[in-house]
Amino acid sequence: MKTIWAIAANTFRAAVRDRILHGIAGFAILFILFTLFLGSISLGEELIIIRSIGLGGIYLFGLLITLFLGGSLMHTEIERRTVYLILAKPVSIGQMIIGKFLGLLMSIALVIAVMSVTYLCVVWYQGGGFDGAALPAIGMTILELALFIALTIFFSTFLTPLGATIYAVIVLYIGHSLSLLVQFVRTSGALARSAATAASYLFPNLEKFNIRNEALHHIVPSSASLGFTVIYALCYIALLLALATFMFSSKDL
Amino acid sequence: MIEIRSITKRYFEDTAVDNLSLTVGKGSVFGFLGPNGAGKTTTMKMMVGLVHPDEGTILINGTTPRECVTREHIGFMPENPSFYERLTGLEFLMFCGRLFPKTRFSAEAHCRTLLELLGIIEAADRPIRGYSKGMKQRLGFAQALVNEPAYLLLDEPLDGLDPIGRREMKLIIKKLRGDGTTIFFNSHILADVEEICDAIGIIHRGTLVYAGAVAPFCQGRPLEERFVAVIQEREKVIPFVRHSE
Repeated sequence: MKTIWAIAANTFRAAVRDRILHGIAGFAILFILFTLFLGSISLGEELIIIRSIGLGGIYLFGLLITLFLGGSLMHTEIERRTVYLILAKPVSIGQMIIGKFLGLLMSIALVIAVMSVTYLCVVWYQGGGFDGAALPAIGMTILELALFIALTIFFSTFLTPLGATIYAVIVLYIGHSLSLLVQFVRTSGALARSAATAASYLFPNLEKFNIRNEALHHIVPSSASLGFTVIYALCYIALLLALATFMFSSKDL
Repeated sequence: MIEIRSITKRYFEDTAVDNLSLTVGKGSVFGFLGPNGAGKTTTMKMMVGLVHPDEGTILINGTTPRECVTREHIGFMPENPSFYERLTGLEFLMFCGRLFPKTRFSAEAHCRTLLELLGIIEAADRPIRGYSKGMKQRLGFAQALVNEPAYLLLDEPLDGLDPIGRREMKLIIKKLRGDGTTIFFNSHILADVEEICDAIGIIHRGTLVYAGAVAPFCQGRPLEERFVAVIQEREKVIPFVRHSE
């Protein structure tokens, strides 16, 4: 655990000093502040507009940062040969991958936290008070991004950064379309239903993490539902990191 | 003791290391020589578990480097080491120390002592991206020493250093030998090898040509002269088959 923590802390330290990350985070904060203006031109729907675009912005910028940092994570380690300095020490590949995952997750969670504080301040400033209903939605966003980090790490063990990013975005798209797809093929033939069922088992159902609409209407999902989603995410993340470890182990460095 | 037993490593059709066997005695300095592409770096990567031999075994102090416990006693400096450029030298060294079970290896005082030994203490708190090649080489050496290793594996440790830096490194290597550290290193700078090594191994196209003490190999001539003669002789016997394929 000490080794994993050391790698996580190191990854976090290196990531938060990245100037491009600072740039994206700065732009994200400006974007959330910009919702004040969007709210002001929305004819009586200020808070709904601010909360809707604000929560969406937190998700989108979190995703952007994950793609930017996660897609190249393992590839850069190999290309720059920094991996030699880690794996020549008493560190297993699994420990390195879990440490990298946690470090990246901490960096992204920090940026999300900063964006969330800005969002809560904006909502409060507009007279919406403390938007407690947004917190589960933000928590689910972090959980989805955690799964997405695991996905990009998995792809980056055997693809170039561009390839890893493209594949991760494709899975993201499929993951958000699964529920719709399963509903759509309900009245279709057996083959289409089987294909949709297979896809729903293979790809992560990312719509489970999207409770932003509920948050807009101050609906907080039940703890059982949230708990199930957390377990679902943890299982998927564990599986992806195990696969990433397997893929990386088969490499000659 | 380092025991390399009949290791072979192939990359597709190309045999990088072919049935190599070597023994390096405890507390000795062993120079591993060979022309570019001879298989020196591949051998060293196998010795630290970064690459796995297709055949044969490597034992360091009786256990294989694939086991984490073996690597607790190994210090490794790769050729032209790369670092996390946004960290400072001290942060990087402390990070390396934290990868070992003993907590004192990551202590700031221990890491500062190492940076001082390697002559880069003034740059300890500066980001690595501002380091010169020589400074990075010294930091690479420092991270290899962070765990006070019993076995030190160095890939071209003197590369990129100025004459003063080379002199300092050689003094450190000699001191470590005096302390009982077993040192295995690759180098193209044969005058340095001749000066500090107890024994040498020469590899050519993956095959071991010579392993033993320096003096019998040199036969009263400079190491460089003998090395070139032996390699040229081998080139005549085995023309560039692999490279022309």
